[in-house]
Amino acid sequence: MGKKLGFFIPELWRHIFKKPATVDYPFEKLKVPKGFRGLPVLNTELCIVCKACERDCPAEAIEIRTILEEEKKFQMTIHNDRCVHCGQCADVCPTNAMTLNNEFELSEPSRWNMKFRYAYTRQLRKKSDRNVDEKDKEIL
Amino acid sequence: MSITIPIGPQHPALKEPISLKMTFDGEIIKDADIRLGYNHRGLEKLFEGKSYVQNIYVTERICGICSHSHTTCFVNGVEKLLGIEIPKRASYIRMLIGELERVHSHLLWLGVAGHEAGFESFFMYTWRDREIVMDILEESSGNRVHYAINTIGGVRRDIDETQRTRILNSLKILKERTDYYKNLGTTEPSFVARLSGIGILPREQALSLCSVGPTLRASNIDMDVRKDDPYLAYDEVPFEVSTADTCDVLGRTVVRIKELFQSYNIIEYILRNLPAGDIKAKVPRKVPAGETVSRYEAPRGENIHYIKSNGTEKPERLKVRAPTLANYPATVAMLKNGFIADIPLIFAAIDPCICCAERMVEVKDTKTGRAEIKTFDELKKYSRDFYKNHKKIKKDTVWPF
Ligand code: SF4
Ligand code: SF4
Repeated sequence: MGKKLGFFIPELWRHIFKKPATVDYPFEKLKVPKGFRGLPVLNTELCIVCKACERDCPAEAIEIRTILEEEKKFQMTIHNDRCVHCGQCADVCPTNAMTLNNEFELSEPSRWNMKFRYAYTRQLRKKSDRNVDEKDKEIL
Repeated sequence: MSITIPIGPQHPALKEPISLKMTFDGEIIKDADIRLGYNHRGLEKLFEGKSYVQNIYVTERICGICSHSHTTCFVNGVEKLLGIEIPKRASYIRMLIGELERVHSHLLWLGVAGHEAGFESFFMYTWRDREIVMDILEESSGNRVHYAINTIGGVRRDIDETQRTRILNSLKILKERTDYYKNLGTTEPSFVARLSGIGILPREQALSLCSVGPTLRASNIDMDVRKDDPYLAYDEVPFEVSTADTCDVLGRTVVRIKELFQSYNIIEYILRNLPAGDIKAKVPRKVPAGETVSRYEAPRGENIHYIKSNGTEKPERLKVRAPTLANYPATVAMLKNGFIADIPLIFAAIDPCICCAERMVEVKDTKTGRAEIKTFDELKKYSRDFYKNHKKIKKDTVWPF
């Protein structure tokens, strides 16, 4: 075994002149790769309310409520505070209504800002704003 | 005269909560007692309430480093219960992700070993190089940590041609870097001197204490589930089981570096011989009643999942034996007669993943030694009472100046 003290020194010396391996986040951001599993979003025009996503979500992050059965009015809440970004909802969706985008900066000061609500009639689209109603607050 | 010092559950040398009750005679460790239970998450109970599909993602969260090991172990077991054969291509992709995970885990460990041995620049370089494999994993699975590539009956994502060439190109850099670290070990005498001769685990003891993984192989025993009980398509892939005969922390480092090279070769073989075809077989949601044991060689050692199904969509029981748990008895033996200063290094050498190993919590009365079963409400009441009395003491405390 050839013992040589300071084997590591040339390596250290070389790195003085190299550019940093890290990036200056948040001023500079890394590119998100294709197929990244970010925030789940619903395309309300495509959803047929089969509830497969609700059934298979491991984190119980999807909640589908029937508002008016006769008028086919439904409301889906995606609890992004619970979501683990596994993408199972997008996998089981038969119509590709559910997809995961490439947003990764999802932190919020309050979990109530992380509930995404979609109220829709099966065909008509009406995306409400991101506020949460009183009933949800009661649940917690 | 011997004294007893508690190390942990919160200690700068330990990254996760665990309590080591050490008995010292001067600088020498005379006895060690490992206490678990500070990081219990109740996962096994959670499995029982979730369907098999949901459980893939729950098992993934047993560990943040060998996440793929746990899901593969689980889905392999479920597929055995279902009696189905998954497509060849799916097997190969599962192995590919598994080997990439081994590479990232071992590079991570090398960094930790450097850190514990006081070689900080080594730690930074290995972790920088680990980013290469993390990027590959993110690109091919969609996430850096929880790859979620497995599903019952196959895999969820395919490897395309651009990914294949990218991985092969990255492998070249990784090989070059690992080669440098290999030479570093043989030419940097201070690093070698720090690692050698500590945490001795003789061959017989390693066997009798049932240690697993690199800890076992560093005691010159060539046991590896991938060879002994091949799962997926490991019987088709040529590779060697890496061993070392020094039985100390240096040996465990050597085994891991050797395994890195083996993993690079396996990855290359998989990418060059990737069979064409489907990546997923159609499977029913209900699993027929029965029980099975599934074994998997995780980066830290043998991982075991026991699955019992009752014919419904949910498992009746899922028991997990993470490799770290199997290595604890050996750790106690390794610590004995060592020095205080070596504790972090010896402990880190088994690559402990403490929260993976936390499977059960037993509430014991310290006076009578009897175990008790408490309901959640009783526990809540107990903690409330405890803090009520505790506060009283705190309230009476006066500033002594
Ligand atoms: S990504 Fe996973 S956890 Fe999140 S909503 Fe979809 S299924 Fe649920
Ligand atoms: S699985 Fe798709 S179609 Fe079915 S309810 Fe969910 S989003 Fe709608």
